[in-house]
Amino acid sequence: MPDDLYLDPELQQSVILTKVDWLKDWGRRNALWPMAFGLACCAMEMMATAATKYDLDRFGAGVFRASPRQSDLMIVAGTVTHKMAPRVRRLYDQMPDPKYVIAMGACTVGGGPYVKYGYHVVQGVDLVVPVDIYLPGCPPRPEALIDAIRKLQFRIAERGGGTLTQIDPRPALASGVA
Amino acid sequence: MAKTSPAGDASTNEADPITKAALDLIQRELPDAVVASESGGKHPWIRVKPESLRAVARLVRDDEGLAMDCCHLVSGVDWQADDELEAVYHLCSYAKKPDAEYRKRTPKNDPWLCIKVRVPRGAPDVPTVMDIWTGADWHERETFDLVGIRFTGRKELRRILLPEDWPGHPLRKDWVTPATYHGVPIVPPEGL
Amino acid sequence: MSTNGRSTALTPSEAEPAHELHERQLLVGRDLRTEEMVLNIGPQHPATHGVLRVVIKTDGEIVRALQPHVGNLHRCAEKIGESVPYYQWVPYVDRMDYLAAMCNEHVACMAIEQLGDIQIPERAEYIRVIVAEVQRILSHLMAIGVYGLDLGAFTPFLHQFRERERGMDLLDHISGGRLLYHYVRIGGVKRDLSRDWLDELDAFLAAVEKRLPEYNLLLMENRIFQERTCGIGVIDRDTAVRWGVTGPGLRAAGVDWDLRRDAPYSVYDRFDFDVPHGESGIAGVLGDCFQRHWIRAKEVEQSVRIVRQALAQMPEGPVMANLPKSFRPAAGEVYVRGENPRGELACYFVSEGKDTAYRCRCRGPSYSNIAVITEVAEGVLIADLVALIGSMDIVLGEVDR
Repeated sequence: MPDDLYLDPELQQSVILTKVDWLKDWGRRNALWPMAFGLACCAMEMMATAATKYDLDRFGAGVFRASPRQSDLMIVAGTVTHKMAPRVRRLYDQMPDPKYVIAMGACTVGGGPYVKYGYHVVQGVDLVVPVDIYLPGCPPRPEALIDAIRKLQFRIAERGGGTLTQIDPRPALASGVA
Repeated sequence: MAKTSPAGDASTNEADPITKAALDLIQRELPDAVVASESGGKHPWIRVKPESLRAVARLVRDDEGLAMDCCHLVSGVDWQADDELEAVYHLCSYAKKPDAEYRKRTPKNDPWLCIKVRVPRGAPDVPTVMDIWTGADWHERETFDLVGIRFTGRKELRRILLPEDWPGHPLRKDWVTPATYHGVPIVPPEGL
Repeated sequence: MSTNGRSTALTPSEAEPAHELHERQLLVGRDLRTEEMVLNIGPQHPATHGVLRVVIKTDGEIVRALQPHVGNLHRCAEKIGESVPYYQWVPYVDRMDYLAAMCNEHVACMAIEQLGDIQIPERAEYIRVIVAEVQRILSHLMAIGVYGLDLGAFTPFLHQFRERERGMDLLDHISGGRLLYHYVRIGGVKRDLSRDWLDELDAFLAAVEKRLPEYNLLLMENRIFQERTCGIGVIDRDTAVRWGVTGPGLRAAGVDWDLRRDAPYSVYDRFDFDVPHGESGIAGVLGDCFQRHWIRAKEVEQSVRIVRQALAQMPEGPVMANLPKSFRPAAGEVYVRGENPRGELACYFVSEGKDTAYRCRCRGPSYSNIAVITEVAEGVLIADLVALIGSMDIVLGEVDR
């Protein structure tokens, strides 16, 4: 790239770094590996999303891993209780960075129907782990979960210095940028 | 309009045959065990003394006519006004099938038997029936966990649903929700 | 530790010859010392169907002692039942056994109606039976597919979801929810069935009848599946009754008992159906994992029969009784149980004449069904423990309530 000749060396380095980050984010957002982590009712809808009709694999997020050490997306699907909260935190800590959390269902967003009288229900999983995407519904439909995963992919793309539409993989490959 | 249950039109005053048979049996074998009883209506029951609970349990289990071989559910009720706690046992039999006639005659339409025990709130000790019906094990632990009835004479009466260090027994009527548990809030936010 | 120095207690005749040879070569001339190891499975483990935690003491591959830990999903259903009016409590019942929400609502509403002496229209009874049986089909389909998943067969899981999605759409169209419905209400059901919906239902039943033999061919006639389940995790009649195991687990043990037939509630006494129970004519032995699975497949067929009969008998009329806005049953108690896909759900209510219950208690069938593994799992292999837990088909929402 001839323009680079007029930039100072430090800046050249940073330009290359940005592109590596972009490449990493491209990989991250298109191969999210969720942890198979079902807590309650929402887990059934998470299974339905991964199964025949909705086929989460189309969005590159269908490789459900049984171990937190192999996954980078935690879909907290179901009610988090005070007894379960430390375990949720431990599982989150075991996941390698970068990691993302989707709070699926009303219970994980803010306690849901149990917020008032449910003494044993944590009022939102964001009291335990940081949350990227909140997905309300009791339980959310599979379309909503797919939308949440798409939103997360957009967010990863934006953080990498662009939007998902700008760096859609096919045009990028065609123009030889990647 | 149809009746809710096929037997709903039976007179509510007629005694439930299973409860009546159990009552006769207990009064014959253990004359001073029964404290009170209700043998008709939707929910017939027999209340016995805590100290004779185990003898009564063995009696209704081993009797050939009743054969209550399964402890279906153990519940605890907090009667705060009477300063008492109540353990309620719902028993059923898989060895004996109810006949069609029985089902038409009684309003309750289901062949279970209910035994109750009342103990003071200050000393809620009820003898265990875990060795008589093994399935009562987890139900007793749950009743201890949520209502705080102490079942005596059994192994490891620990909490089952709530964490070990949970404060108090939530289904007691005077239980106050603590503000936090290990730093995580329990009481609902303002305005709910 | 066994006396011949082997790490497991298998007698040589039971082991695979090649494996045995290999093991013997390894052990030649060594004084092998074995010790018990404590292994923790769950609460986050794909084989535990939710948040069950099982602590097992193992000797090699053999489970010597086992302690299930439950309560990770305790959502205070009983406390809520004592805090909110009866009307508002019904949706919470859906969330106990979230794979059989319609059946749960049916039993809970029956209990509350019996408490308040409410008579409901006959058409509503039929609609309740229809939706409860459709729900039973969906729940058993899920159980059949997920059990294959537990044993390493992914295909049946994906296949059964085709019919399950269709059934969920069906219930979605009358209630607005795919999984949790709040369709059965105190006094009847929310809305009437349309002609189109009944046609959809017919097509669904035909699809289930067509596909079920296919699923059975995929799993039950599969040699590997039979090797993994026949004779494994045997719960005999005495053990099942003592522990209060109900549903397919009880019937697989040879007890010919189904509440729908033996203490009929709702309008179940007007239908003709069989109660499949464990027998010696099929593969496996009485009360093993295979027979529990077989009973679920058979119950799907019977549910189809019941729905067809209910459709034929269903009268016209209203679907909701006229009820006051504030519902205050007289002081009293009720104990009502019903046959859910997983066993007998029971509701015990104590009323003091207020609009909330004084005491509300539920018996989730899975609670007793999982308690029994403390006794049954002793001496099984770790891999068979997964088969045993899977065959009980527990739902943790109902265990912990």
